[in-house]
Amino acid sequence: MTTSSTSTRGTGTQVILYAILFLVLLWTLVPILWMVLSSFKPGIAQLSSTPVFFFEPTMQHYVSLFTSANLGAYFLHSVLAAGFSTVIAVSLGCLAGYALARSHFRGKRHVAFWIISTRMAPIAAIVLPLFILFRYTNLLDSIPGLIVAYLTFNLPFAIWIMNAFFTDLPPSLEEAAMVDGATRFQAFYRVALPLVTPGIVTTAILCLVFSWNDYAFAATFSGPNSQTLPIAAAQLNTQTGLNWGQLSAIGTIVVLPMVIVGLAVRRYLVRGLTLGAVTGE
Amino acid sequence: MAAAQTEGRAKKSGNGGLSLEMKMLLPVLLLLAVLSFFPLFYIIWMSLNTVSLINGISFDFAGLANWTRMFTDEIVGAAWARAALYFVATVGLEMILGIAIALLVHELVWGKNLALSLILLPMFMAPVIVGLLGRFLTDSSYGLYAYVLRELGIFERDILGTASSALPAVILMDVWEWTPLIVLIVLAGLASVNQYVIEAAKVDGASYLERLRYIVAPSIAGVVTVALLVRSMDAIRYFDIITVTTNGGPGNTTKIIPIRLYETAFRFFDLGYAAAIGLGMLVFSILVANVFVRILESRGLAR
Repeated sequence: MTTSSTSTRGTGTQVILYAILFLVLLWTLVPILWMVLSSFKPGIAQLSSTPVFFFEPTMQHYVSLFTSANLGAYFLHSVLAAGFSTVIAVSLGCLAGYALARSHFRGKRHVAFWIISTRMAPIAAIVLPLFILFRYTNLLDSIPGLIVAYLTFNLPFAIWIMNAFFTDLPPSLEEAAMVDGATRFQAFYRVALPLVTPGIVTTAILCLVFSWNDYAFAATFSGPNSQTLPIAAAQLNTQTGLNWGQLSAIGTIVVLPMVIVGLAVRRYLVRGLTLGAVTGE
Repeated sequence: MAAAQTEGRAKKSGNGGLSLEMKMLLPVLLLLAVLSFFPLFYIIWMSLNTVSLINGISFDFAGLANWTRMFTDEIVGAAWARAALYFVATVGLEMILGIAIALLVHELVWGKNLALSLILLPMFMAPVIVGLLGRFLTDSSYGLYAYVLRELGIFERDILGTASSALPAVILMDVWEWTPLIVLIVLAGLASVNQYVIEAAKVDGASYLERLRYIVAPSIAGVVTVALLVRSMDAIRYFDIITVTTNGGPGNTTKIIPIRLYETAFRFFDLGYAAAIGLGMLVFSILVANVFVRILESRGLAR
């Protein structure tokens, strides 16, 4: 990172900058901190009409989520649906993305446009036909159904991003490997694929975040056998009155893993989130 | 490149079939075609029928009835207008705040990485959790933000239950979650601004605002456009926050078009009509995607 442009600016300016930064961080972090804090707050402190900042922390909300609210099952559904759709999307995305980057054919532009429009189609518009199709094929309320639903956005996304990463890779290395006797597929598998590891990891993490965080598809397609964590969170809010302690706990459980994996690939996030249009730091 | 092509051709003639590239590409594109064209044709067909879910699924051909109805439906028209307002307000605020915060973070001398990591946090959260957390914070009995606003004497009624405050509240929740995305993208643009030109301008006595206007702004214009398009495409996709906070209320004040579509389909079970509304949304997102691909091509990135 470059630190330059401030060298000629006074410390007065820096003080103002950090004061504004403090406000930005306040706006950003207060809701998150409040959620985490509330997840450890005992029920009585929860129901105070003035905010309580100091209390004896309790694990009761987490414990009751797993014992009475059966959160383990929801967690498993989330892991299976998001995990499988990610693995399938990234594997196929590597194959197709590489092939797309290395081949030239008429109408390639149109293929690219079709892929990106599929990724960008409004969820509400996809849910309707899938709902009917899933009813015919008995995919409603099933994990495979959710995996298929998540593939509708993860597959085009993975193809598109992997194409961008492979396009950046000069083909000369693969050519050299083939001169040395590697087959075309070995050149892809042994030479090109390892070189785009950061791209693969970033794509996988973004696919995981998109499907883990999904609410609209799961709310429409899932039932008792396939409900995911976001559904559990939303139901908690309507079933037994408003249990903010449990809600904060489930929110923390949903958010924490995604924050960790997301920040782990921060360097490459820009590339992934702009669909390859902007290269990061 | 040439060698790869020759190799490809050699393979092609060697086993009389397709090149390896095509063997890798076609099956995946076939799967994608199933996942995209099947629903597309199906939703078009649905929009030409009256679809009922009572006693199984029944289709009753209705011609263009759903379509003519949509163009005269005042509730749907109002939902489109509200969606436009919601869209302009959220994306507009996110762009302005995002660019401002990116400029701020770019100028920091120390703690830049930590500051960025903290600023990015909301972006990884499930929108449904953001909505539920927003409900918690604005709850009139136990909400932290509701308490602060009440104590300051700014707002004393139920924030999400009052017509005048519900829409601004859900807009701010969206802004809270997605401004970080703009910060991240714009910062990448700022990092690529030519530092020598900046230094030279400083030596020549150009002020910060002058440098911003004549050097920084032109160099990040492309990146800012990409940020705007990426955010626009996602803004029409997601509606989770509104679903779990107000679900369109109070009194339709937050009923944007995807909420109306859901209601039409899964509350009134008028799936054919909902399909027509869905296709309207699809047209919009295809238009934005089209602009996006053109910009990519002009930046030499879609090859």
